[in-house]
Order: sequence, then C-alpha cells, then structure tokens
Amino acid sequence: MTTEDRGARGAQPSSAPLLDRYAPLPGVYDEFCTAAGAPRPDVARVVGLLDNLGLAEFRRRQGLAEGAFHEGGVTFSVYSDQRGVEKTFPFDLIPRVLAAREWAALERGLVQRVRALNLFLEDIYGEQRILHEGRIPRAMVESSAGYRVAMRGLKPPGGGRVIIAGIDLLRRPDGEFVVLEDNLRVPSGVSYVIENRGVMKRVIPGVFQQSRVRGVADYPIHLRNALTSVAAGVAPEEARVVVLTPGPYNSAYFEHSFLARTMGCPLVQGTDLFVWQDKVYVKTTRGPRRVHVIYRRIDDDFLDPEAFRPDSMLGVRGLARAYATGNVALANAIGNGIADDKAVYPFVPEMIRFYLAEEPLLPQVETFQCSDDGQREHVLANLARMVVKEVDGAGGYGMLIGPKATKEEREAYAGRVRAHPRAFIAQPVIELSTCPTWAETQVAPRRVDLRPYVVTGASSTFVLPGGLTRVALVEGSYVVNSSQGGGSKDTWVLEEEGVR
Amino acid sequence: MISRVAESCFWLQRHLERVDSTARLLEVNLSFVLDVPIPVLEAWRPLVIVAGEEPRFRELLGEGALEDGEAVQEYLTWDQRNPVSILSAAYWARQNARTIRETISLEMWKSLNSFWLWLTDGSGRRLYRSERSEFYRRLKEMSQLFRGICHDTMLHEDPFDFMRLGMLLERAGQTARLLDVKHHKLGPSAPVARETAVEFAHWQATLRSCSAIEPFLKKGRSVAGVEAVDFLLFETTLPRSVRHCIDRAWNFLRRIRPPAAPGVPHESSTLLKALLDHVRGTSIMEVMHTGIHEELTYLIESIGGVCLAVHRDFFDPAMPDAQWTPGPRSS
Repeated sequence: MTTEDRGARGAQPSSAPLLDRYAPLPGVYDEFCTAAGAPRPDVARVVGLLDNLGLAEFRRRQGLAEGAFHEGGVTFSVYSDQRGVEKTFPFDLIPRVLAAREWAALERGLVQRVRALNLFLEDIYGEQRILHEGRIPRAMVESSAGYRVAMRGLKPPGGGRVIIAGIDLLRRPDGEFVVLEDNLRVPSGVSYVIENRGVMKRVIPGVFQQSRVRGVADYPIHLRNALTSVAAGVAPEEARVVVLTPGPYNSAYFEHSFLARTMGCPLVQGTDLFVWQDKVYVKTTRGPRRVHVIYRRIDDDFLDPEAFRPDSMLGVRGLARAYATGNVALANAIGNGIADDKAVYPFVPEMIRFYLAEEPLLPQVETFQCSDDGQREHVLANLARMVVKEVDGAGGYGMLIGPKATKEEREAYAGRVRAHPRAFIAQPVIELSTCPTWAETQVAPRRVDLRPYVVTGASSTFVLPGGLTRVALVEGSYVVNSSQGGGSKDTWVLEEEGVR
Repeated sequence: MISRVAESCFWLQRHLERVDSTARLLEVNLSFVLDVPIPVLEAWRPLVIVAGEEPRFRELLGEGALEDGEAVQEYLTWDQRNPVSILSAAYWARQNARTIRETISLEMWKSLNSFWLWLTDGSGRRLYRSERSEFYRRLKEMSQLFRGICHDTMLHEDPFDFMRLGMLLERAGQTARLLDVKHHKLGPSAPVARETAVEFAHWQATLRSCSAIEPFLKKGRSVAGVEAVDFLLFETTLPRSVRHCIDRAWNFLRRIRPPAAPGVPHESSTLLKALLDHVRGTSIMEVMHTGIHEELTYLIESIGGVCLAVHRDFFDPAMPDAQWTPGPRSS
C-alpha cells in the first residue's frame, strides 16, 4: 500500500507511512486491503488515519501500549508450574475494523444462533422433541461428556441457560464470516476487549476519535442486569450476585476479578460459600448472607464435590442441590456442554430450522464426525489437509493441524482417533483472514479470528459490539490462543455514517 | 464483606507496614553506624532481632554474619527465605492485593504493581547497589504513597477499616519490638546527666526510626532513655507511638463492629479494649517501676492476642450448626 500525498516526508525512514510496504498473503482475505493492495472501501478512512501515524510514531506508541498492560497487571497465568506464572497478554496496536453494515448482519446471525442453542438446551433437558423427531441422533447427545443426565426435568431459576455466550468466528478467503465453534460454558476474554479499548484510547486518541468507534465499556452493566434478571424468588435490585473463581492461580483470574470489580459485586472462591438447607450463603464479617445468583467461572465437573467430581477443592458442597431446588441461579447453567460439544456443532443449523423455523444467517465450517465410519476414513485418508479436534477441547490444546504436523505426529494422532472415534471431529483447514500486525520492526499480515459475546437475560439480549480479536503473532501460524503464542487486538465496530 | 477478602485487606497493609518499618530501620542504621563507634556485633544484630529472625538468620548464614552489615542488609531486604524481608513482604502484599483487586481501587493496584515491578525488574537492585540510603528512602516513600492513594480513592468502609486495623496493629507491635531490643542492648536507662554519647546516639536513632525525632524535640523533650520510651509508648499525637496506634485501631474496630451489634462474637473488641485501657491508664513512672521489658512483653503479647481474635471473629467465623437459622437480614 502506498500513499501519494506524503511528499518529501516519505523520504525519511523515520516518518514512512505505517503500511508502506504491507503486502497481503496471496489467497487469503486481508481485513485492511484488497488482493491488489488497495485499502478496502469500508475501512479505508481508518486505514488512512493509521497509515498517517507513520512507522516511527507507531512504534513508539506500540511500546507505550505494552507498558500500560505491564503496569496494569493485565495478565493471564500459564500452567508451567504449580503457582502459575503471570504473563501479560500480547497486544497489537493495529485494530481490526468492522464496518457498521457488516457488523449488523453478524449481530443478527449471532442472536439467532444463541436463541436456537438456548432452546436446544431447554429441549434436551426437557421433552427432547428434537431427538424424538430424529433431527439429531440420540446417541450423539447421550454419549456427550457435556450431557448431565441428572439435570433432566430441571428448569433453571429464571429460565436462562446460556446467559453468556462467546461464538468463535473466522473469515474465509471469500470474505464471508463462518462460525468455528460455540463457547457456552465459561467463555473468557471479554475483559481484554475492555482493557484493550482503554489502552487504545490513551495511546492513539486522535485516530480513535476520528474513526468513530462504538463503545464497549457498558458490557459489565449489561452482564449484571442479565444476571440479576434471572435471580430466583427475589427482585433484581435485591439479588446478591457473586462471581465464583477457582482462585488467583487460574489462567483467567484477572478476568474474574475484572468482572467482579466492574459489576460491583463480590469475587468469591468456593471456600467463601456454603450451602445450608439447600440455600447458598457467603461468609462475611457480619455473618452469613444469602446468595441468589452465581456467575461461576468453574467448570461443571468442579462445581460441587457432592454432585460431580468428589476430589474437587474448588467448588461448593451441595451447590447442585441448591440449584436443583431453584434457590440459586447459575450462569451459565449446568449441562451446557452438550450444546457446544464439537460433535453436536454440525447440527446447529438444524436446530435453527427446527426451533425457529428460520434459515441460519451465519454459515459454519464443514465438519466430519469421526464416530461415523465413512467420514472417519475420509478424514484419516486426508489428514494432511485437516484440522482434527477433541469434541470437548478448548484453548487450542489437543488438536492436530494436518498441514503443520509431521508424518509421525499425524500417525500418532490417527491412532488416537481410531481408539476413541466419538472424541474427535475434523474440519478442512481454513485460510483464516489476516490483519496487518506489528512484527518487531515492520507491519506484516497475521491471522486473526473473532469472538463476539452475546449476553442473554430473562427478557433482553445484548451483543457486545465487536468482541475479542485474537491474532496468531507467529508468522504462518493459525493458532491464536493466548496459551500458544497468540495475542489480541482491539476490535472496532464503526458507527453508521451520519449517526453523530 | 467476605471474610477472606477482609483477611486479605488486613494482611495487605500489615505486609506493607513491614516493608516500611524495615526500610526505616535499615536507612537509619546506615547513618547511625557511620556516626558512632560501636562494637560490630552491636551495629547490625539488633535489626535481625527486631525482625524476630535471629534463629533463622544464624541457621542460614552462620553466627559470623551477624557482624556483617552487608549480610544483614541483604537478608532483611532481599532474602526470600526470610518471610519478613522487604522482598517477601512486598510479594505477599501484592499477592493479597491481587486476590482482592475487585475490592481495592484501580489506582491502588497500579501503584502497588509498579512498586513490585520496580523492586523485581532490576531497577530496585541497581539503586540498592549504587545508593543504598536512597533505595530505602524510595521504599518508604512508595509505601507512604500507597497508603495515601488508599485513603483518597477507596470507600471508607469495611475493607478500608480492615486495612487500617492491620496497619495500626502491625505498627504498634513494631514500635514495641524496636524499644524492647534497644532497651535490651542499653540496659535500664541511666539518669540523663550520665548518659554517654553512644547511648545518646542510640536513642536518637530509635526515635528517627519512628519518624519521631523532630516531634520529640518540638514537644520540648530532651534526648534521654526514659523520655524517649515515654514518647514512643504514650505520646497521643505521635503517629507511631503505641498509644496512638491502639487508640486508632480501636476506632476502626468499633466501626467494623459497632458495640451494639447483636449475636456476633466480639472477643477482639474485648481484648483490644483491655489493651486500650491499659495504655491509656499507665504512666511511664509505673512502667519504670514494673520494668520496661515486662511492659513491652505485655504489649507485644496483647497485640498478638488481638490479631488472633480478629482472625477468629472475622476471618474464620464458626459455621452454622443444625440449630442455626439465618438472621432477618440474611434470609
């Protein structure tokens, strides 16, 4: 990309335009430029503003941004030793930019999808119409590790199951967004969205102001309203909401504390709570106090040693009973894992048709079920062109990226697939889109994904404009997870022209 | 507030108070040993005793190291095996803050985190090597800064009150321990006229460690053992006197648990009130009569007892038994 209006300034390396030598990868959609290297019309104004900062100035401000995260202690923990080491989440100052129109379409698709997933959970733990009518194979559901058969027939207080959803999206080479996976248990990352924005506003205020970007700071308020709206047997303004964390050594501890702080509610650990006569109480300096809603950031398995894993030290004994009795609301509900099981994912379009009588607005990635003999053989025969994942995996762990793996790695993985076919699915490798990203001395294309957040209360739904853009900082890498060399970018959803 | 959070508030400020008081002691002693010709063993060993670390120090570094100013400073400042070293105390202060980030203000967190990064990223070490006194001055200033930010940015309710309570009890104990060690070393104080130059310098250093030398002179006192002990124990207006700290601690405890609060244990109130009555009702003459060491031992043990009672009352309350029913406010 070049800018013509720079004149003599362009001659000095220190004031070279930021994207002077930027070239997108062939055959990959780039968020900023067309294949020919010209800025995309939808985002051209923002691209121009960034470009005008110049390379030297950008570099200085990227350093300022990194310092801000360090000082702020915006960290995640890596499980490299027992205590966990705090690391700052690498941040890239070049934002990912989405035009108003494009976002509006995505937003409709997300709301539709989350509605259908909520109805699916309602149905699976209720009448199971979708199974009776044969639209989803019963065996697929009943064999899922996320299915909690004990929750059959229980209606969660307030009715909500997927209060907080994080839907992972990719952009294909044709520019279309597709759903890669749903996160309906304890999706994380939203605190980085808000922290990233705070740093952007401080570090490049001029560019930000002129770009006219939709705000993200009110997410905690929406979340709190959704949480109080599902409280059982108490008015929302009376409800005591707590955030339940596994503790400071958990990788997402920063986020747990961030959300508690910004929602203005207590952050608790399992040992701070107890259940008495099927009601949940928190230990306070003035004696026990009743808890009505728990935003729990602990997996089902560890939630209650009485109901699930008896060795769990993180949970609260009797919590599942209190929940089943309707005395406490949990966000998200117990048993949501059935709906974001990767082997159930291929049926989500079917759910949308079945429950909503609508056509899915968001396409998704073609998926092969390794439990099906024919599909499995196809996958194993084409392993070098496939991404294979564990159906209940997360964090980018335990997956095989065929083209990046060695022959030995592929063979070893094939052995695991044959041994436990139901535990795996496969998808063709997708050339996810790139975004210009700072790479030590220059700007280079790096792959990105997008995780928008959908918050569903008793009577309203909120979609955070944008969401978390994760970026694979390593050249050529497809893995965007923070635990594996990924970083993040701020996501700018532009306001519609003429809004201000 | 949540019991665990209250406990972290309490300890956060206690640990920072340790950073502050250890830095003060070391800073004052650095200049003290330059002024006064004293036996090497008397120069640094008292600091290890005040920290309550003499047995561990001997075990880890050997008897001889007690004479080595560098070894003592290193141990009290950087040694992670010393649970009350400046580095350990700063680590625990930050860990406590990290577990209650939703409770403290963002400004408090940032200030503490910057302090921790400075201490551990090499900057602190460099200053320690090049300008020792300046290093300790900075530590002192950083903990003062944190206390100021805390006072100005937090709601003045339970979490704040627990922080102050922890800080004040720690500070009262620290002043008492410091006096005890000095008293041990100097023996019963001689009449003013016969005090040697060395003793004079000792008491001056003791007062300076508590930021009390100028207040002492402003109050028209003359530097002498009894006067200094009286001032550090009973001066109501001196921020680091035992009397002042206990007075203030009582105020905070009463705010946390108003006297009329029904149906809750208040062993901590009973014990702190007894201690308060004691320091309010005791004169320096009585202390001289019963013995300074005995008085200081009583104070140190009482403060320890109050801390344990605070723990039992607020941080680790008994869980309900079968008869328990939630009170009207908790149902």
